[in-house]
This record gives sequence, C-alpha cells and structure tokens, in this order.
Amino acid sequence: MFNKILVANRGEIALRIIRACRELDIKTVVVYSTADEHSLPVRFADEAICIGKPSPTDSYLNIPAIMSAAEIMDVDAIHPGYGFLAENPHFAEICGSCNIKFIGPSPESIRLLGDKSAAKDTMRSAGVPVIPGSEGVVENEKEALKIAKKIGYPVIIKASYGGGGRGMRVAHNDISLVSSFMTAKTEAEAAFKHGDVYMEKFIENPRHIEVQLLGDDHGNYLYLGERDCSIQRRHQKLLEEAPSPIVTPEMRKYLGEAAVKGARAAKYVNAGTIEFLLDKNNDFYFMEMNTRIQVEHPVTEMVTDIDLIKEQIRIAAGEKLRYKQEDIVINGASIECRINAEDPDNNFMPCAGEIVACNFPGGFGVRIDTHVYQGYKIPPFYDSMIAKLIVHGKTRDEAISILKRTLEEFVIEGVKTTIPLFKRIVRDKTFIESKFDTSYMEKFLK
Amino acid sequence: MDIKELKKLIKLMKENELTEISVKAGDSYVSLKKGVAGNIVSMPHVVGAPQSSSQIFSSDEKDKMKRPANVIEITAPMVGTFYRAPSPDSDPYVEVGQTIQNGTVLCILEAMKLMNEVKSEISGRIVSILVENAEPVEFGQPLFWVEK
Repeated sequence: MFNKILVANRGEIALRIIRACRELDIKTVVVYSTADEHSLPVRFADEAICIGKPSPTDSYLNIPAIMSAAEIMDVDAIHPGYGFLAENPHFAEICGSCNIKFIGPSPESIRLLGDKSAAKDTMRSAGVPVIPGSEGVVENEKEALKIAKKIGYPVIIKASYGGGGRGMRVAHNDISLVSSFMTAKTEAEAAFKHGDVYMEKFIENPRHIEVQLLGDDHGNYLYLGERDCSIQRRHQKLLEEAPSPIVTPEMRKYLGEAAVKGARAAKYVNAGTIEFLLDKNNDFYFMEMNTRIQVEHPVTEMVTDIDLIKEQIRIAAGEKLRYKQEDIVINGASIECRINAEDPDNNFMPCAGEIVACNFPGGFGVRIDTHVYQGYKIPPFYDSMIAKLIVHGKTRDEAISILKRTLEEFVIEGVKTTIPLFKRIVRDKTFIESKFDTSYMEKFLK
Repeated sequence: MDIKELKKLIKLMKENELTEISVKAGDSYVSLKKGVAGNIVSMPHVVGAPQSSSQIFSSDEKDKMKRPANVIEITAPMVGTFYRAPSPDSDPYVEVGQTIQNGTVLCILEAMKLMNEVKSEISGRIVSILVENAEPVEFGQPLFWVEK
C-alpha cells in the first residue's frame, strides 16, 4: 500500500481524498496555490506545499511544479481528483516516468477515451449500443450530407476532442447542415486545437443515465449501478440521483454489463463512468466515458455502501477488487444537490466573497461534502461549487423529504447560492414524479 | 548523491543532534554543517481541529525575525530544491555580505532534474540567506534578504 499520496487538486474533492487516505493510514501532501492558503484541505493534509500563483496554469495545471513537489515530498502516488489534470494523458505519462503511481487509468486509456469518435468506435466494436452516426471523422460537407441522409434529421455535429457539452451544433435540414458543419469545424479548431468533427443522430430531450465502473489491474470489473443526471443547466449537472427512478433491475443489468464490455475493450483500470443517453423509446446509446472519479460519486457510495475513493487507491496499489458483482446491492435512494456560489436570479452569476455565516444541515441520512466554513473567503479563480448536499433514504420519496428538510436548514450568508433554486425544484411535480429529461431545467427556469 | 540521500543525512543530523557531518562514497563527497545564523528547519506536526497542519515551509524562528524596513525579501519563484552552488564542488553563487545586481545569479532551484537559475531583479547587499543548501522550498518562500 502507498506510504504517501499527493493530492493534486483543491476544494471539496481534495478534502475527500485526504479523508480516504487518513482512513487507510496513508500520509497526505496537498499542493496549493497562494489563493488556497487558508483552505481546509491545506489545513487537514499532513503536509502542504505552495506551488504557485492563483491562476490554474500557474498552480493546479502546472505539471513541473506538481512533479517537483511530488519529488521533494517523496510521494508514491498522485490522486488527480476531477477536472484539472485528472484526464490529461500527458500528466499520467509523466507520473509513470517519474515512478509515481497515477491513481486512475493508463495514459493510453485516457487518450483513447478522450478522442470522442475513437471512443465510440471502440464501444461499437465491443458491442455497446452507440448512437447511429458517422464511423469516425467527417471530412467534408459532401460526406456530412450523405451521412445525414442515411441516419435522418435532426443530426448533431460534435468535436472529436470536445466533451462536457462543448463544441456541438445541431442541424435540422441540408441547408443548416452545411453551414453548421463549417462553423463546428472552425470552433473545434479554436477551442480544442483539433478541427476533427463527427456526426450523430440528434436525440431530442434524452435522459442522461451514467454507470459507475471499477476495474482492477487483474482484469476484474464491477458495475455499481447507475446515476440519473438529467437535471442540467447548459450541460452542467445540478442534481444527481442514484438509482435512476426509471431504470428497472433488468435495465440496470443490461446497462451495467454493456458498460463493463466497453471498459474491458478499452483496457480500462480504476474508477470510471460510462454515460448513456436514453431516448423516448427507452433505447440506450453510449455517449462518452469519463476517465476519472466524478463530482457526483457520493450518491453511488450512499446506495452501495462502497467508498469509491478508497477503492481507487486500492486498485492503484495493485489490489484485486474485493467485491463480486453479486455483492453489489442497491439500497434505497440517494440525491445530491451541487450547491454553487451563484445567483440563480441573476443568470447564475458567480459570487466570490466571504461566507459570514454558515450552518450545515445534519441528521440521519445526511452527508455534506464541502471545503467551506464560516469565515472562508471564496477565491474568484476557480469553479463556483462550494458544497455537495447528499441525502439517502429508504425510498426516493423519503430521500426527497430529507432533501426538503435539509435545504431549509442549510444557511449560507455573505454570498448568493443556488439553495433557493433547489428548494423550488424539490417541490416541483415533474421532479417528484420523475418525469424529467435533460430539457427540464431550461423549461423550469423560464 | 541525490536528494533522497541528502535528506537521510539531514535526518541523521537532526536525530543525533549533530552540528556537522561529512560523507564520502566513491566519487561523491558531501559535507553538511549546521549554520550559526539558521537551523535545520524542523518539521512540526500539529494535529488537531482545523488549525494549520504541518507548517513545513515556514519556521517560527524566521517569522520572529522582523525584517528591517530597508530590506527586500527575495522569494522562490517556483517549487524546488534550493542549491547555493551550481554543483557540490563549486563555490556558492553568493554569500552574506555580497553586493549583487540585477541579473546576478543567486541560487539554483531544481525541479524534476532541471536546474533553474534564480536571478536577482534588484541590486543591493545580501544580509541574510534564509534557507539551507539542499532544502526543499515552496513557491513564495523567502530565500534572501537584500539591503538596498
């Protein structure tokens, strides 16, 4: 097992990793920018080392600084968290060449699955259902028109190196296709440095269902059920739940086994998530694979009773998965709200500033993953998520009632937060009846 | 001799309260001396409720020394290992009392086997060197006090 792990991240996920390490008796080092000097992860880690100025380029994305810190502090492994360098194959490679274990998949897997159209090809060959579309990159408008004729409108043009909802354009007919195609290529080149685009049938208002996977270095795989992340604003998830209210045990098995097939084909090791789109006919299609631990991992932990971060560390240390698929049982229902320091009444404008008063909810079935505290000054340089409110009940209705209760108890003063928005969602009939899809938030906010 | 071995020697010195240690191994030779002006920075481990954990990179002694008004602090522009000289056999780049100019190389900060020269951007006289040779430093850590 590792002696010392460097946490190459900040905020709530850095704290999450430190906690798992503590429980495994592993020493922790956290790297931080000058803006995070007074953050909780810096205070709780066994050791902390300042690596640069606030801007992510100078700090959390600064590979030489992070590797230098790793060397000085004599660490055996690095946990990249999510975001920042978590899905950077170059960083994973450098860790390997410095003999420091990157807690995550291999650089090759990250690279393969980061290329969205190559990922799709791998999944298709493995027998995982994929969205009908181009087989690989679409070179020109002529090809685009041919493919659109084959799969039918509407179609979506996506950047091969995009993801997270960026670099996509929808076309409903031949004329808009030609202009959208050229624009999409130009945008992709500018945003991702690769102008490669591919095409797919556009699925209107799908549900977003993702499957949590674990794979070890010995060829063993597990699926830990799904999460429903359909409640999104501008492709950013706001609320997630496990299990999905509309997935039956048969669908769960089918999805899980398909996801494992895909992970195996990609030779994937460690924790990962395969995202599927569910259309109005209840057909599932592979969308993308996220080669990292995700923000919403806690809801899976609550219903399966498995600590995913500890499993990541164990897998990276070479251990075999300690569960068989039949050991994985989904208990009850869990819902997570991402509390952001944003003003929901002012176009979700981010609010940096001091948290002058703060009361976290508590009680049975409540978990808060946060790095903030009373007196904490939210720095303006990073994303606006300040806490994750996670509840767990025996049924989805019970989870919703706990959520209602905790949102009332949750007090944050000094900055605007999205708590009022969640209070409204939790009382909305469409949410309670699980009749939502990815278009829900847009309609709700009108 | 690499950083791991140097760290082991420093640890040995601390544990046995030595003021000086010299080691010759094959072609390598290292001599470590506990200076008069500074100490080998101890690494306090503070356990408890959300107070600062390990303040490895700021020693209490340094905080207590008040920086005089006409003295400028030169801080580490990056994280790395601090070396006073370009190689173990060479003379240090600068000594206390030395006059420096804009562009004078003050030290090396080593990161991932790359030696980065740290150059002064000011001129003046070095009144204090705040870290020991081969000590790890973090970004922003005070290295030199220079009197204008």
